[in-house]
Amino acid sequence: MKKSIRNIAVFVCICGVITLLLAGTNLITAPIIQKNQNNAANAALLEVMPEGTGFEALDMGGYSLPATVTEVHKETAGKGYVIKLTTAGYGSDMVIMCGVSADGVVTGAVCLSSNETLGKEKTYGENFMDKDANGVEAVDTIAGATKTTDAYKNAVKDALNTAIILGGGTVDIRTEEEILADNLAAALPAGDKKFTKLFLVEVVEGVDAIYVADNGAGYVCVVGEQFVGVDAQGALVTEGVADAAVITDAVAKIKATTYKEIDVTAYSDLAAYVLSAKKTASGNYVVETKGAGYGIKGGDEYHPASNEYIVVRVSMTADGKILDCVTVSQAETDGLGDACASESFYGQFVGKTASDYAEIDAISGATLTTNGYKQAVQRAFDAVNVLKGGDR
Amino acid sequence: MNKNSTFFVLVNGIIKENPVLVLVLGTCPTLATTNTVNGAFGMGIAALAVLLCSNVFISLLRKIIPETMRIPSYIVIIAGFVTIVKLLVQAFLPNLYATLGVYLDLITVNCIILGRAEMFANKNPVLKSALDGLGMGLGFTVALCAMAVIREVFGAASFAGVPISFMENFKIEFLTKAPGGLLVYGLLIALVYVLTKGKAPAKTSFSCAGCPNASHCHVETCSEKGAEE
Repeated sequence: MKKSIRNIAVFVCICGVITLLLAGTNLITAPIIQKNQNNAANAALLEVMPEGTGFEALDMGGYSLPATVTEVHKETAGKGYVIKLTTAGYGSDMVIMCGVSADGVVTGAVCLSSNETLGKEKTYGENFMDKDANGVEAVDTIAGATKTTDAYKNAVKDALNTAIILGGGTVDIRTEEEILADNLAAALPAGDKKFTKLFLVEVVEGVDAIYVADNGAGYVCVVGEQFVGVDAQGALVTEGVADAAVITDAVAKIKATTYKEIDVTAYSDLAAYVLSAKKTASGNYVVETKGAGYGIKGGDEYHPASNEYIVVRVSMTADGKILDCVTVSQAETDGLGDACASESFYGQFVGKTASDYAEIDAISGATLTTNGYKQAVQRAFDAVNVLKGGDR
Repeated sequence: MNKNSTFFVLVNGIIKENPVLVLVLGTCPTLATTNTVNGAFGMGIAALAVLLCSNVFISLLRKIIPETMRIPSYIVIIAGFVTIVKLLVQAFLPNLYATLGVYLDLITVNCIILGRAEMFANKNPVLKSALDGLGMGLGFTVALCAMAVIREVFGAASFAGVPISFMENFKIEFLTKAPGGLLVYGLLIALVYVLTKGKAPAKTSFSCAGCPNASHCHVETCSEKGAEE
């Protein structure tokens, strides 16, 4: 027993001596290690804000910042902020560090980690140097790496917005989709925040777009910046509308629309590429056609395994002016050709005719997709010409 | 040479009982850190410092440390010195700290250090133990550096990070990988064997008698096994 106690006492003493030695070493090295770590951390921050003299991490708790922002460092002399952001790229998340000066200009942007296929994000940040919000907006995306560079650009915009918010300003950090949803809900609260954009088949002068409430509560007409609610009976919900008659007429016209199905199989020269066709009582046409995009490598042979054609729905007047256009289905390359399914692309065809529809902006890095889409639209013009009895 | 002389104790670890190339101890850090000369030298010096300090400390306390508590005591002492060395490297040589990474912490369980504590420091006076630690540490450093020079020069066409341009087209990248490290390790062991004309204590059989450390080992079962051979 006595021996055991002695053994324990000796062991405790050894531990005590070692602890004292460690404490002494730590006393000397701790401040130096801390300084080294700060220098290492500052080195990364200085890369995007070379003018910075010192940085302190900010508590983001009290601010409503964009969701991509993960860290904010304030330059101690008030020269601006360094913001760390995580955004979804093409392959995986990209971690971006962006410096923003006190006057809202990008002082540097680097991608700290990513797993993108093309590696374009590694040098893309150089394009944002010394750019303000307008300058950032004007930076071109890189053909073939649209998703990656778009995400990068949006992250830099978020960094600029963050600097504005931290500086006491206000910024709408909602996405375009969120802003649209909020505007629709505000215009027609009875719509329960669920709306679908109406595919226009009638000429509705003075109205840019019409959304229909999924629960049948009514419509929301978009006129410029204004969102006007109309209930299911056609009465205006929104007050203070300057030209109410335009809105009510448009909705009445939409509600009164009737269709007549056309049997395209009866037209041997249309059957190969027109999937369906309808004619409205007012004499307009709605046709669904297919075009050969990259999904079938630009050829025109129907793929035996799956429908890889680009299928588009086009409505147009009898005299060949496009009223609306939408992508029904496509199997183009992810991150490249699949941009043909976005409204920013197919919306370009609205108002076009057979003589000027080819002037739309092509999808960067997806020439075959763009050509396939144009082929489908051209076939819609051809189909309407045949259906109304004219020449192809 | 008198085996009890202080000079013999010092050089013993460098050549005759080189811990890496003769006793084949510390293989893990040897393979891991010898792809660059800087890393190998840093690891060697760090291990040398820990060996020297722990040998001196254990030798000082050899009459106090209870027999039954000796291994836990050695581990505490070695771990303490490893942490001290780690803190010093982290503070004053941050680049080396980044290069060595986890292998710096793993010096704690490096069998060379525990081996010398158990086989030498707890049986010998402070000066001899210090010289043993110094010799073994130098032997470890020399062996690591020799391996690293071969691996870095012929595998990466550089020396201590400085590119050797005329070697660029002749480099054998395989040498910088783990299998290349094993190959160089084996070749160096063979070279040492040839240079010492087989006089270096080598494992001649799978028994305690063939163990190069048998002369230091006083474990009873070991002697018995040796006698059976």
